[in-house]
Amino acid sequence: MPEIMICMNDLKKTYTSMGDEVQALRGVSLDIYKGESLAVMGHSGSGKSTLLSILGGLNPPTSGTIEIDSIDLYALSQEKRADFRREYLGFVFQQFQLIPYLTAIENVMLPLTTTSNSNKVKREMAEGVLCRVGLAGKMNRLPNQLSGGEQERVAIARAIVNEPPVVLADEPTGSLDTKTGDEIMELFQELNQEGLTVLMVTHNPDNTRYMGRTILMKDGQLCTDKAEILQLVSGKKR
Amino acid sequence: MNIFQVAISNLKRRKMKMLFLMLGMVVGVATVVAMLSIVQAMRLELGDRIDEFGANAVIIPRSEGLELSYGGTVVSDVAFEVQTLTMDDIPGIYESDVVQYINIVSPKLIGAVKVGNQNALLVGVETKREFTQKPWFSLREQAGVSTREKVGDLALLDVPEDGLILGPSAARVLRKKAGDTLDLNGRTFTVFGVLNEMGTEEDGLIYGNLAVVQGLLGRPGELSMIEVSAYCNFCPIEEIVAGLSGALPNSRVIALRQAAMFRYQTIDQFSAFGFALSGVVLIIAALVVLTTMLSSVNERTREIGIFRAIGFRRVHVMEIIFLEAGLVSVFGGVTGYLFGSVAARVAGPFLAQLQGSIPLRLDLILPSVILSVVLAVLASAYPALKAARLDPAEALRFI
Repeated sequence: MPEIMICMNDLKKTYTSMGDEVQALRGVSLDIYKGESLAVMGHSGSGKSTLLSILGGLNPPTSGTIEIDSIDLYALSQEKRADFRREYLGFVFQQFQLIPYLTAIENVMLPLTTTSNSNKVKREMAEGVLCRVGLAGKMNRLPNQLSGGEQERVAIARAIVNEPPVVLADEPTGSLDTKTGDEIMELFQELNQEGLTVLMVTHNPDNTRYMGRTILMKDGQLCTDKAEILQLVSGKKR
Repeated sequence: MNIFQVAISNLKRRKMKMLFLMLGMVVGVATVVAMLSIVQAMRLELGDRIDEFGANAVIIPRSEGLELSYGGTVVSDVAFEVQTLTMDDIPGIYESDVVQYINIVSPKLIGAVKVGNQNALLVGVETKREFTQKPWFSLREQAGVSTREKVGDLALLDVPEDGLILGPSAARVLRKKAGDTLDLNGRTFTVFGVLNEMGTEEDGLIYGNLAVVQGLLGRPGELSMIEVSAYCNFCPIEEIVAGLSGALPNSRVIALRQAAMFRYQTIDQFSAFGFALSGVVLIIAALVVLTTMLSSVNERTREIGIFRAIGFRRVHVMEIIFLEAGLVSVFGGVTGYLFGSVAARVAGPFLAQLQGSIPLRLDLILPSVILSVVLAVLASAYPALKAARLDPAEALRFI
């Protein structure tokens, strides 16, 4: 029996917008196993980004619990949760979200900034992951001197530099062409095969080919209708 | 890579904004430095000028007085038990507790003399001391010096024993000019010089050598008063008066408080104005820092969201903002100090009507930097707090 890495229990999230209550999550319970790769699909407004932000410790749920590596994420103080994010989670954001005034290697070193490692160690770690994602020759370039695919690779390198057990990715191929998108997905697949737990929110059904499991979000809940999932994964409109 | 390098990198990227921020600090610090430099120069120069110009205290013989009045009108006042002030009292001044403050001691005897059929006031002085103490006295004409030649400096001239110096009014009334002879109480003197018009009662006086006047008036060794000027830049005049009174029990010491009060009041008023102005400029500088840092935080919402998402604590985000403001303000403080010093040197003499140059206040470098940093850090507190409180989920548009 594989070990559970992430355990979500009856997560609910309600937002108040212009006086109206919007239920973004309506009781999501899900287990994700160590070393698993999971694609979360769903239409806009289905609650998948909310799920990702709650999972990333950035957005407390209205009710329910979430445990990562048996640690109750929202029982931690805000500052402890920041430490937790640094040690346990790697983020790959939509649109790369690199810091424009830092070079590729400096962007990758960013999660190590607040650690006690020496600058030399931090640089060695960043160089190691940049080589790993195939950017050995472009470490000192600014983000605007890199192609979209290269920027995505820097974003991935930044997510894994501190060797977190879990990587959360939000539409990582959304702004890439198909070929580059496939290359990035292959990179995720390789990282997963090396033992990393990967959870990816995506609109692109093709990406599910690289992921071990796919779940569908619909109206703030997990969709259990297998036919609907298959339809979505195959990319056919209902 | 550390927090410091993140701050430096951001400063490099936002050069114009940070330059604007620095400018705010430069103006604030420069105003304070310029004001402090000018005020200090004023204090020193005005102090020196007042020490130079005239006496701080006058010593006169002690006497008891009675005033007879009737229906609110003074009918007569009577002085009795008048003590005598003599040349023997002068050493007492130099033996007093306040000798370190004493600059010039100028004894004088004043008496009425007959010039022909007119009465005149004759003042016996030690001319070099008297005219050094009162440098505004100058000669209009001098015996033996033609009108085309320059007259000598009164404080440096040796007035002959039988020489007299006439005030301009006295010279006009007596119809005398330099080189003429003048009979006083039957003794013939030579008019050594005539003073320039000063518009005071001193214009009507005749000045002679003290010892000669004492002999002429039949009051050898006697003095009417002693004027004392003190090195009184920072000394309390009250202390000098007390010291002199103790040393000369048969005399009354009167402080020319007005001059001292005037000096302090003038400087204090200028200082108050200067500090108020500096305060206003500093508040404006702080507002510049506040708005610049606030707009910087607003522009960097997403970036701060990323920092927080990848594990920066709130305190790390605040550290970045404070470091940026602090680094800019260090340069702002040093530049402000330089600008302020230059401004004081260039504009100070015009602003404060100073004659001398304004010295460079090296002691203000560190306070300038500290002031700049403290101001920048305080003004950045709200933007830093706002940055730290940013909701990372919102900043990254997860919501």
